[in-house]
Amino acid sequence: MTILEVMNLKKSFGSVQAVEDVSFSVKAGEIFTIIGPNGAGKTTSLEMIEGLVPPDAGEIRFGELNWNQDANKIKKMIGVQPQSSALFDLLTPEENLNLFATFYDHARSTEEILELINLGDHRRQQVKKLSGGQRQRLAIGLAMISDPDIIFLDEPTTGLDPQARRNIWDIILQLKELGKTTILTTHYMEEAEQLSDRVCIIDQGKIVTIDSPSSLIEQLTKERAVRLSFLDGHEAAKEVQHFMETLDSVVRNEVDGTSLTLWTAHPEDTLYTLFGFTKEKNYQVEQVSIREMSLEDVFIEFTGKEWRD
Amino acid sequence: MKQFKHMFLAQLKMTLREKQAWFWGIFFPVILMVIFMTIFGGSSNDEFSAKVTIVNENPNPTSDMLLSQIKQIPVLEMEADEPVSRKQAERMVKDQEINAAIVLPESVEATSILLVVNKEDEQGVTTQALSGMLNDFVQRANLSAAGAPPTFDLQFESITSADQELNYTDFLLTGMIALSIAQAGMFGMVDLVDMNRKGLIKRLRMTPANMNIFGFSDMVMRLLFSIVQIVLLSIIGVFVFGAKLYINFPSLLIVFILGALSFNALGYFFSSFSKTTEAYMGIANIVSFLMMFLSGIFIPVETIPDWIQPISNVLPLTYFVEGLRDSMVYSTSIFSSSLWLGIGILALWGIATFILGSLLYKRKSIVATR
Repeated sequence: MTILEVMNLKKSFGSVQAVEDVSFSVKAGEIFTIIGPNGAGKTTSLEMIEGLVPPDAGEIRFGELNWNQDANKIKKMIGVQPQSSALFDLLTPEENLNLFATFYDHARSTEEILELINLGDHRRQQVKKLSGGQRQRLAIGLAMISDPDIIFLDEPTTGLDPQARRNIWDIILQLKELGKTTILTTHYMEEAEQLSDRVCIIDQGKIVTIDSPSSLIEQLTKERAVRLSFLDGHEAAKEVQHFMETLDSVVRNEVDGTSLTLWTAHPEDTLYTLFGFTKEKNYQVEQVSIREMSLEDVFIEFTGKEWRD
Repeated sequence: MKQFKHMFLAQLKMTLREKQAWFWGIFFPVILMVIFMTIFGGSSNDEFSAKVTIVNENPNPTSDMLLSQIKQIPVLEMEADEPVSRKQAERMVKDQEINAAIVLPESVEATSILLVVNKEDEQGVTTQALSGMLNDFVQRANLSAAGAPPTFDLQFESITSADQELNYTDFLLTGMIALSIAQAGMFGMVDLVDMNRKGLIKRLRMTPANMNIFGFSDMVMRLLFSIVQIVLLSIIGVFVFGAKLYINFPSLLIVFILGALSFNALGYFFSSFSKTTEAYMGIANIVSFLMMFLSGIFIPVETIPDWIQPISNVLPLTYFVEGLRDSMVYSTSIFSSSLWLGIGILALWGIATFILGSLLYKRKSIVATR
């Protein structure tokens, strides 16, 4: 079931075309991640969907609802954690949650949320004294207070240490278990790969591709890079290289000093043949590694840009 | 209603926890007022008096008559019961044992009374008051010499002129109240800059929360804070420094609400073009510093140089402090036209800055949401 549908969104600020053409639909219950380089139009797209910025053109539909006619109904069914955590610093987490709860007719209990975001111990501490991770968790808690069907998380883990990041991943996965739909943006490829059901890559205001992380990686390339280094030095590497050139499965190879890198669609078969040859020649292989393709390679392939945090 | 209650309670908690607000809004004006009142109000000599001595080297009927009348002026403290010689008197003035010497006419025909003061004190308040009193006194004496009926309350009128110095306490108290309410308004809107910078305004707009109620509860909170300022400053002024207030409550209420709202509008306007809290504080500081000295808070507008007065006459604080003095000291009624003229100008400032601020916010919201 489609819970959110976005069609041909456009937005420009003066002469800058921030979003040129963005269309996608999100299914109920999935974690949908939007990634893209800085300035690609992620936040602008999100803010249009969240009802903060009116689009120049295009349509946004929450099932039957749209912003022009049903703004208040939509506001009740979405929860938003903006990029800047946007909290009342002089209030405690408990007071922040209680205040936001009064905006909705059917809010969840503050108690429940505090437990979910694991801030029970800090409930009576002013927000300004909380750590970055704790603040971020509270911001997510505020997004959940109305028990929304769709939750928007805009870079929830940026600037957090690995432990704090894992805490937030746990919360996001719990939301999925509750049947909620999550729309996430992130700067971390690892995060997108681990959490998302589907990933959408945006570059220069346009959607480049949308698919599940695994099929994105699969469609990228069939070859794996295999890297070996030899104790017997450059000569050995050269000789193995000559032998490997006779194999069809190896599409490319490269020698650098004592190490050899091969690109092959069938790493297992290739290695089996290779080890047969080295055993015969009595060469010793020092190291073997097979590099898996990751979402990062997909990203670089599609946008032509190095990933920067 | 439920939203208003919770928003108001949240705002109350935040205000109570904001130490800066308490320091600049309450503690600072109190300290400033205490310092100014201690230095200029003079609770130590709340009764004005001047030490003088009389020189009557050639006693004659005119000088005797004048002497007996001068002795009846209660604020003149005689250094010696009997007149002294001119030389003696001049030495005493030089050594500043006395504030002044009064030299009476040397013959029946002589008509001038001479006031001898130390050069150092020439511009002093005491000298001014003394010369004023003597002038008045001489005029009355002239009148009576011309055959007009003698007016014995002349001496009490002199005392009234001295009483104006006492009034400085009332003047300063109302000035400080106006200043602190104005500052609370102009500085207080820094919250808005901060909320905008943190994205809190955006965040609230994404909820079904009613932003009008939010703004209204914020305003109620600010008015309450200013009431605390008025009451606290008045209590200190009246009970510690003996200020005398004759309050007309309907007038005060109108002046207070319009004034507080107008200065909040001014702060709102500043916030509309300030990107950071530092920028905002800079602007608020410059404006409040200028107004502090040009609007008759510490010194009456009439005493500042003529060429600056046109500036004073457009500043909102000038009219706010005037309105407060009218309603708190002179008990001016709500039907007075001069009261309405003043708060009219004040309200004009409020409306204009509010509209300007709103326009700037509208323009910014389109660009800033990127």
